[in-house]
Amino acid sequence: MEEELRVRLNDHQPSKIFPVKPKSTPKTLSKPETPDSRYWSSFKPHSIPNLVSSISAVAFSPIHPHSFAVAHSTTVSLFSSNTLTTSRRFSFKDVVSSVSFRSDGALLAASDLSGTVQVFDVKERMALRSLRSHKAAARFVKYPVHDKLHLVSGGDDGVVKYWDVAGGTVISDLIGHKDYVRCGDCSPVNDSMFATGSYDHTIKVWDARVGNSKWIAEINHGAPVEDIVYLPSGGMIATAGLNSVKVWDLIGGGRMVCSMESHNKTVTCLSVGRMGLEGENRIVSCSLDGYMKVFDYGRGKVTYSMRFPAPLMSVGISPDSSVRVVGGSNGMVFAGKKKKKARDDEEKKKASVVTSFWSVKSEVDESRRRALRPSYFRYFQRGQSEKPSKDDYLVKESKGVKLTRHDKLLKKFRHKEALVSVLEEKKPADVVAVMEELVARRKIVKCVSNLEEGELGLLLGFLQRYCTVERYSKLLMALTKKVLETRGEEINGKEEFKGILRNLKREVNQEIKIQQSLLEIQGVIAPLMRIAGR
Amino acid sequence: MPINKDPSTPPPVIGKIGPYTVFMTPPATPKPPESPAAVSQKPNLPPPVLPPPQQFKSVASSEQDGSVLGFFKNAATKVQNAHSSVDDHLVRWFGLNQSKYQWALDEYYEGKGSKNRKKQEEGFRAFKRTKFCASASFYPEPPSASPSTLAAMIRGGRSHLTSPPSFSNDAKKLLVCTGNTVSVFSAATGLQITSLEGHTAPVTTLLVVPASTAAQKILSYCWTASLDGMIRYWDFSGPELLKTVDAKVPIYSMVIPSLLSEPQQVDSSKLVAYVSVEDASLVKEGSKELRGHIRRFDLAKERLSRGDTLKETEEPKSIVISPSGEFFGIRHKCKIHVWGVPSGGGSRNAVAKKMTLHHTKVINAFAFHPTERIIAAGDVTGRVLIWRGFGNRKLALGSQKKSVRSVVDLDNPGVRDGDDAESCTTWHWHSAEVNVLNFSSDGAYLYSGGREGVLVVWQLDTGKKKFLPRIGSPLLYFIWSPEPTLSSVVCADNQIHLLKMPSMEISRTISGIKVLCVFGFQPPPSLPKMYEGLSSTVAFDRSSGIAALCTENYCVQLYNLLNDRGISEVQVCERNHQPGDEITVVVTAVALSLDGSVMSTTEVKLPEDGIGGLVSLKFWESEPDNKTFTLSTIVYEPHKDAGVSAIAFHPTRSMAVSTSFGGDFKIWVCNSDKSQTDKDSSWICHAVGSYKKKPMTAAAFSGDGTVLAVAAENVITLWNPDKNILLSVLGATLTPITKLCFVGKSEFLVAASNFPKPELSVWNTSKLSLSWSYELRIEAVTSAVDSSTFAVLALVPKSFRKSKSKKNIFRGRDGAILLFNGSDPKPVSIWTVMKAQGGSISFLEGDKSQLRLAYVNGSHEYVVFDPNSDDTHERSAIGYEGLVGDEETGDFGYTSLYGQLPDYDKKRKDDAESLATPFVSSERPWETIFSGSTLNFPPLQKLCGEFFESLMEKSNSVVE
Repeated sequence: MEEELRVRLNDHQPSKIFPVKPKSTPKTLSKPETPDSRYWSSFKPHSIPNLVSSISAVAFSPIHPHSFAVAHSTTVSLFSSNTLTTSRRFSFKDVVSSVSFRSDGALLAASDLSGTVQVFDVKERMALRSLRSHKAAARFVKYPVHDKLHLVSGGDDGVVKYWDVAGGTVISDLIGHKDYVRCGDCSPVNDSMFATGSYDHTIKVWDARVGNSKWIAEINHGAPVEDIVYLPSGGMIATAGLNSVKVWDLIGGGRMVCSMESHNKTVTCLSVGRMGLEGENRIVSCSLDGYMKVFDYGRGKVTYSMRFPAPLMSVGISPDSSVRVVGGSNGMVFAGKKKKKARDDEEKKKASVVTSFWSVKSEVDESRRRALRPSYFRYFQRGQSEKPSKDDYLVKESKGVKLTRHDKLLKKFRHKEALVSVLEEKKPADVVAVMEELVARRKIVKCVSNLEEGELGLLLGFLQRYCTVERYSKLLMALTKKVLETRGEEINGKEEFKGILRNLKREVNQEIKIQQSLLEIQGVIAPLMRIAGR
Repeated sequence: MPINKDPSTPPPVIGKIGPYTVFMTPPATPKPPESPAAVSQKPNLPPPVLPPPQQFKSVASSEQDGSVLGFFKNAATKVQNAHSSVDDHLVRWFGLNQSKYQWALDEYYEGKGSKNRKKQEEGFRAFKRTKFCASASFYPEPPSASPSTLAAMIRGGRSHLTSPPSFSNDAKKLLVCTGNTVSVFSAATGLQITSLEGHTAPVTTLLVVPASTAAQKILSYCWTASLDGMIRYWDFSGPELLKTVDAKVPIYSMVIPSLLSEPQQVDSSKLVAYVSVEDASLVKEGSKELRGHIRRFDLAKERLSRGDTLKETEEPKSIVISPSGEFFGIRHKCKIHVWGVPSGGGSRNAVAKKMTLHHTKVINAFAFHPTERIIAAGDVTGRVLIWRGFGNRKLALGSQKKSVRSVVDLDNPGVRDGDDAESCTTWHWHSAEVNVLNFSSDGAYLYSGGREGVLVVWQLDTGKKKFLPRIGSPLLYFIWSPEPTLSSVVCADNQIHLLKMPSMEISRTISGIKVLCVFGFQPPPSLPKMYEGLSSTVAFDRSSGIAALCTENYCVQLYNLLNDRGISEVQVCERNHQPGDEITVVVTAVALSLDGSVMSTTEVKLPEDGIGGLVSLKFWESEPDNKTFTLSTIVYEPHKDAGVSAIAFHPTRSMAVSTSFGGDFKIWVCNSDKSQTDKDSSWICHAVGSYKKKPMTAAAFSGDGTVLAVAAENVITLWNPDKNILLSVLGATLTPITKLCFVGKSEFLVAASNFPKPELSVWNTSKLSLSWSYELRIEAVTSAVDSSTFAVLALVPKSFRKSKSKKNIFRGRDGAILLFNGSDPKPVSIWTVMKAQGGSISFLEGDKSQLRLAYVNGSHEYVVFDPNSDDTHERSAIGYEGLVGDEETGDFGYTSLYGQLPDYDKKRKDDAESLATPFVSSERPWETIFSGSTLNFPPLQKLCGEFFESLMEKSNSVVE
């Protein structure tokens, strides 16, 4: 019986009401969004302008709330990652090349091009130590991941220095690089291991415990090394040189795992970012070509790429992966911040506490609602929102076609009003669809001649805006011509139409120019293709 | 993407290919222009000296397309011109003097011999035309495939429109006049149950004998009258012919008043009918005699005397009778003539009294009120006039009516010319002529309808209106059934809609094959005349025998030719069709893939005053096993502004080609292979090609799909569809080619061109040469997939038909189907057909054993036959055996309104039965008589006899 009823209900004729529909637009053939692209595009962009000169380095504090230091020109600015505003500034005598936080986030080390490495107290804004030993510009300084007492720095003199911060003395000079040392990173698993990269194309891995100032491993990148980063496992490093990023297996004897060469210009900075708190790690690289790319080194694939309006100098991802900071060469910091879910949860908790005062009442309500029986009067006053109970048989009503205002007017053959009403809605696709329907009814000319002054202005404004849009131009160009022909006198007389007409003329001229240049390009290409065909 | 363009085409223009497609600009990868090297790349170079092909037409040798092939062609033509005078084969066929079929033709026509039949038909057609004025012709001339090799044949596509249908007394069946037969449909399922066959000319009148009491409701008798001059009396439950009366003159309309006025005494011996006949004796060419006669006819005497003539008109008129049986009348220009039926039935002297009502406009339809003296009439301007109290003076019936005042009352409002009526009121809603007028059975409402395709219900007392809009086609008839919840409306597009009454919903549709009336449609003015009628509006699914036809209301109707039944309609364009409006959107072409799973349609939106206008190409896909097509891809402006001239599908893969007048063709492929889900499948452009910027007019894939032939005006270009490489060019015909078809798996290619010089040419693609050609105007070409036979539908030139010696042979047939075999220029078989203009043919090869040829003519009637068999046996399109079982018992009357009453008797009955069973032996033979569908019941008389017989048998057995 149920089956039969359903068959009967579905048997009726299809609706014969056809609302005016805009032409369907082509579906994009691009792949659906990947988790990577979803994650990396979910940072809400927030740019910080007005910093002097290029952003040479970015460093995040390892301690919550993970404020970050941005080195630009002779200044290091400390930003709060919640508000993305600057809170403190540290001044130097020369251009700052690198910054690094200590593991407890209390101290900050920075190197400048005069060769000095300075250590600051973050809270007191005080220079605690000034370490001078480099004979040329110092290029990088790094605190070991857990060690609070030592520092690693390197510079244009080709020497890597291992510092005792408290005493302000060099423990060991590690000599081996034949050119400028530009970058280095400390192992996340062993506080005495660190790797440095140099313009002599090599990456050298050092161990501070080995006394003879000899590297324990050497890797040739094949290009001047710009940046180096340890991957979280501690067994692998990623290096950037020229436009390639290479991943090396240190434990496996310096074997290259994979390489990524999708940047067009020199890769300036690398960083490791985690997708969420439990997600996989990715290498984030930025380059002078203005692209930030996310590299999945597990699969050897670039999973996301984002373009910025300036050459990029530095990149940093906060340890809780809620903030991403990219520094440009023009003094812009392109920060991006994820919305914090944790805080949302907290707020929710608070809200629930507030509502719990009222929950007693709502429970009462619910019990009452459940108790509705045909014996109550209110049973018969149930509204549409009433949910069906389990054993109710649901009769589905066929949904009527929803008609918009212009559809209703078209149905009543009030063509001009339909046109005006759709023009007011400012949806160009709908307007063109209504116009096409009017053409099919042979009424568009009459509509145009019947338009009153204000409505004519509306139509002219629409035509001016959209008549050169490729999708609509075939219809709208002809219509524009018709409007100008039939209503020419009225349009000429009015002051307010002058601007529209002027714009219209400009648009058309521009379009003609574009067509002209396209034809020229075609003329250039055609003989080439012909030759290629031969 | 392989793209190859002819070098002479200018560089490709960056334009849109259409949504759903990847934007592609066809880069030209040209071949050296017109150099001999290009020709030498061709796989098969033609031998330098060709045997001169048989060529009927003298080919003008000025054609020089610069190619080597063209040079060869021209050389060959010159040789031919010297030799060829008249083609022997064609003379044989056209002359038919020495033809082996001549004897058969002669014999056939002598046997038929009825000379005036054609005139009758013509007369009837004129009669119908004056009645409807709507569309080209509703008259079912079955596409008579004549003579010698008449095969096992299925005819169908008969019009449902020639005369009003009628419900049976129990409202479970609907009787419809379909050509020479009357078809009986089930009102519950909409399927055909049976048909009454016997008339030899179209049936014009159908009268179901009404039931006066509830018990008589199962009675199913009817009278039919036909143009063959016969009046027949049927029992349509059987069906069984009970009686035949020969009136000897073609009957156009018939009423039997006593059936309605005195239903109790249905005594067929005393019945008197009034008939509208055409007196054939008076019909002469150009005479102004009054041919149409309204006569009284005594069905018992079987004689129609001239003395009984009531009225003479120029043409036969249809008679309208009042539901009470008291009056009948005809409309004649601006007048309605009404006669009162003399009471007392059979008395010979009683002459019907007559009165006339006048109007200023031509009256199109009128109806009598069932109880009161009210006449409603609709005129050509759309007005509905209501005369109340007509004929109180002139048609006073019997003695009791004498008391009615006989004083002439001059202040009768609205009544003209002192007509005998109390008042006349006018209602005006319809914008065009009124074709349908009918009172409801209780007389409270008046139904009217006309050109607009809107059924209007007027409340008779107040004039308030209710509407059933968007029927989509001009209405022709409205009839109500004995059941108050059911009525039926017949539309000009061959559809019968069954209406659920109080709400006026269309509950079911009996759809005939849709009539195409493209009156008023002009192809876009940009197209030269030679391209008219180029794209086909009929496509065939060869395996299942389904035809897809473009219809007026922006649909494609899928019609099963083998079952003569409409399957479904696909709304191609989301618009409602308003009959009578200017046509602005036309579905111009439809094509089906070989397996019938993909359909492609094109539609053209015509611009207004140069504004707008759009050509779009749509691809539809259907699930396997059900013919519901869903839209897969829309391509707007597939060839920029230019119209699509032809669509062809690849025989095996999902690939299609569309050609355009704009000078290019596009190959479309379905990308469903790549994506796993079916929903994402869409058709994208695979390649674009053009040849010297010539308009592309036709396309065809070869049987194995490796070669694509595209006609570029008057040359045929052969392409590799995958790589889009021009393989070769077949030399020039004189005129643009409109049809292309590969002959099965053989190497032959058939090309047809129409304007200005018609030509049918067959090319050998392996030798790249012309095999033979005829000067014939071809409407359609088809070829069988597996064999090398192909068939063409040719229009026979008028001048040829009219010549005296052949007039007898063609007799109104304007076309011929010629069946050829491979390269042989002699046709294997010839059939002459009617209404070939706009017709279409196709081979159907559902089961491999049988090859059948389907022909659909210009007015969408069709015939399916086996071209190879000599069997003259004809069968109707419907296997009744299969359909009777489909009968569905619906609820009617009280139950349909209020539902089934709980059956209180049932339990008692059950008890009785359980009591009875011990005594009743299970093999009582008479029980089997009543088993089975009620529709299969034999008539009562038969049943009684059988029943009693069986009882007697039983008593015998007891005695033993």
